[in-house]
Amino acid sequence: MRYVISRNRDLHLKNILFYIVIFFSLPLHAQLSIVNDTIKIKEVVISRNKFSSDPEGYKKTIIDSSILINYSNRNLSDMISENTDIFIKSYGMGGTATPAFRGTGANHTLIDWNGININSPMLGQSDLSLIPVGLIDDVQIYFGGASMSLNDGGIGGTINLETKPEWKKETLISVNTGIGSFGQYTGLIKAKTGNYKFQTVTKGYFQNSENNFRYLNSEISSEPVWQTRTNNQLRQNGFIQELYLNNEKSITSARIWYQNTERNLPASLLTEPNSGERQLDESLRTMLNYDAYRGRSNFSFTGSWMLSRLNYFNPLALIDSRNLSEILILKASLENPIGKYAKLKVVIDEQSDIITSNNYNHKTTRNTSTLTASIERKKERFGTTILVREILDKNTLLLPDFSSGIQFRIIDEKEYYIKANVSRNSKIPSMNDMYWVPGGNPDLKNEYALIYEISYEMNLKISDPLKIKYDLSVFRYNIKDMIQWHPGEYSYWTADNIENVNSTGAETSLALDYVLNNLNASMKAGYSFTRAIAGGSKIENDISIGKQLMYIPENQANASFRIGYKNVYSSWTANFNGKRYITVDNSNYLPGYFINNFIAGIKFRLKSSSIDTNFNIDNLFNINYQSIAYYPLPGRSYFLKILVQFVK
Amino acid sequence: MKNLIKIVILLLIVDSCAKIPNTQNLNYSLGGGVFVVNEGNFRGGNGSLSFYSYDSSKIYNDLFYSVNGRPLGDVPNSMAIKGDEAYIVVNNSGKIEIVDQATLESKSTINGLISPRNISFINDYKAYVSSLYSDSVTIINLIDNSITGYINLRRTSESIAVAGNKAFISYWTEGKEIMVINTLNDKVVDSIQVGIEPESMAFDKYGMLWVLCNGGYTRQNYAELIEINTASNSVEKTFVFPTKEDSPSCLKIDGTGQTLYYLDNGIRQMDINATDLPYVPFILPESGQYFYKIGINPINNDVFVTDAVDFVQQGYVLLYAESGKLISKLKAGIIPGSMCFKIIINP
Repeated sequence: MRYVISRNRDLHLKNILFYIVIFFSLPLHAQLSIVNDTIKIKEVVISRNKFSSDPEGYKKTIIDSSILINYSNRNLSDMISENTDIFIKSYGMGGTATPAFRGTGANHTLIDWNGININSPMLGQSDLSLIPVGLIDDVQIYFGGASMSLNDGGIGGTINLETKPEWKKETLISVNTGIGSFGQYTGLIKAKTGNYKFQTVTKGYFQNSENNFRYLNSEISSEPVWQTRTNNQLRQNGFIQELYLNNEKSITSARIWYQNTERNLPASLLTEPNSGERQLDESLRTMLNYDAYRGRSNFSFTGSWMLSRLNYFNPLALIDSRNLSEILILKASLENPIGKYAKLKVVIDEQSDIITSNNYNHKTTRNTSTLTASIERKKERFGTTILVREILDKNTLLLPDFSSGIQFRIIDEKEYYIKANVSRNSKIPSMNDMYWVPGGNPDLKNEYALIYEISYEMNLKISDPLKIKYDLSVFRYNIKDMIQWHPGEYSYWTADNIENVNSTGAETSLALDYVLNNLNASMKAGYSFTRAIAGGSKIENDISIGKQLMYIPENQANASFRIGYKNVYSSWTANFNGKRYITVDNSNYLPGYFINNFIAGIKFRLKSSSIDTNFNIDNLFNINYQSIAYYPLPGRSYFLKILVQFVK
Repeated sequence: MKNLIKIVILLLIVDSCAKIPNTQNLNYSLGGGVFVVNEGNFRGGNGSLSFYSYDSSKIYNDLFYSVNGRPLGDVPNSMAIKGDEAYIVVNNSGKIEIVDQATLESKSTINGLISPRNISFINDYKAYVSSLYSDSVTIINLIDNSITGYINLRRTSESIAVAGNKAFISYWTEGKEIMVINTLNDKVVDSIQVGIEPESMAFDKYGMLWVLCNGGYTRQNYAELIEINTASNSVEKTFVFPTKEDSPSCLKIDGTGQTLYYLDNGIRQMDINATDLPYVPFILPESGQYFYKIGINPINNDVFVTDAVDFVQQGYVLLYAESGKLISKLKAGIIPGSMCFKIIINP
């Protein structure tokens, strides 16, 4: 495999990490020899998004574990785009992929790791293509105001990635390898061991991919021609090490997540095919957590230190952009009951970002402190939440944010809920918006949004084997002072609070689960409608006003059908994204696309081990499509996965 | 369930490949007028070609796509006409599209150029192409439209002006020199020190070369307007702009070679014999307008200026009479930029 990516990097960090992994892995070697002949296979619940009743009055969904398993060799971008209403703007296989949540921008969606925001402080956003699903145990999606229970700034919502222990006396080793079209090779190794008091989890991941898929290019001549994508290689490796200590009244944990991704960036169909652009993303994330429980009270402290490197090279344009972010987050929360039905939660969050970049004038630091107080009350069929947040940014107190939610259970003992909430959520500008040279504007105001949402949720057991879930949400966002880069007085662009955006929409989904003896089946269908409209702007006679924002589809739908019988299983997922405008006056657009994926697999049990192998066909009907104009996406592709698991 | 199957089948049919082009009326006038190169957004692939026709007083947009059924490319930067052919330099696609100047049908494409900016014809057989990133000027053979060689300047290049057997090439980004090339042997023969970032050039009626130096984007230097004697390759006059905030661009001259025009908080007009820079703009942009490029009709001295608005939505072409009176305002493509006059001597 050919990689043009430079090796002349500082390997010091890697060496340190190597020894850390070896150190944490030592106890596991001792455990390996005692694997015996009984195996437990984790029961897979074939259903899609589970509803969670918390926080009261808000919408939060959890991606089902069966979906996570199917995507264990893929990245978060693929999983989110194929299974949720969140639209992903993707530059194609291996390329950057950013979320657009309910018509908001990529920097309005927070990606959290166990409740700690991991968005780049420079960009204010995350590249979902860099996050391997196999390293994550649980994915929760907080819609709109719900995200305020975790962090500030997630105007669109928050995708929270959890890595967590399972408190049982068990040793588990699993090796998950995959091979697929376009030179894809992936490997995921997990090793867990421990008991009810102590758990250690080690996960290692690698991916090599040529991504040299064929595509039909209709842009360079009036007759379309087949071409092969070049300069698109990706190499990624990483690991997570987790340690957990359960001391009855407290849990202490330590986690490290290291990741390194080197990739070449392919050109648009209209640009010089191989300009040699490449990017290095390297991150080290550490987290210490202490949770103490005293009756209904609990105290939690989290300290996180993260280092994130993003280097971009363009040899043609002589760009050698080197950027390093150091982030320190300290977060403490105290939860105390008030009377029988209510509880008060106070959270103090302190974040320090230190940026070293050859695109800034000098090393730049930002400190942000946040104080959040919330009261949640739940009595019989009513639940309410009130949250108030104050942000101290650059020694200035911002206007306080708030959120208030109400939840009503329509019938006692039955899971029919009506939820409504209203929020004001602020987003402080990214460091690039403020300090990039040229054009960064240190005087930017924070963006803020008023968010209104009402939803209905139902979870009903029709008969013993059949369950049904249904939800419908309607939302409205008024986003003010949205930051945009625009041409300034000189020959460069500058960041400014220019635009207001109003986003209105609805989401609905229906899920059926059927489990009887050896048969389990589920069907899920979801649809969302989003009108994200440019509102007032500082530009006179702005023709974009009243028009749908670029790259926000009005219509999205997804459906899946999964069936398992004894040791064989299969699933079909279908995902539709409607047309997306690519000009602000909506005069041009990319057509909608409808992508189908198919999986069939079989599981074997052999004494102390199990083998699960499946075959994936992605883009079953070989649709030629683009998520971003002139960046082709692959046609039909195949992937074979083998998971071998030992449990004792 | 039946309905569901119907919906699924319907969705399968409502697929995908063909993009709906923003088609325009093809009946654009073959008479005299001006081509407007709409740059579009960097990597947006939405650059296009417009034509303002004097015959119909109308603008015709998206002509390249309409005629050739494919996009023009990423960030078309400039256009020049040579005989029956027009050369469109497409910067971020690294190519030059050669079209029939009357029908705009594609005749040839020169690929493999590094970030090309402008083309200048040396004679009937040879042209030079400047580059934003390469340290060489590319030599094009106009007979078979091929790349025949490179002139290593050890600098990037922007504007090219040809007089006799000399080509003057500006070293724009972070530069402060005009390189002089002997066009007979394609060798660098001299360099002239000018102000910071010489961006655009024009010859006056005496054959003197006027060079507009922007001063650099960091605004740490003053912009300068410099007059160069092309016989001696020496600076004759230097006008220094009054403040560091003055960031002039796009120097042009009228058809008689008597009056200079450039952009600096509006359109400025200056006689070549003036002793000072013009302090009052000739034409001021209105609120919300962003004057981006200008073009002066060499026959009647009409002033064309493009308004890039916010550089995202479609811009406008404004046409002013020589007196400065607005004649028309016409909607063009995204970031309407440089212009190329199509002169019909005997229409």
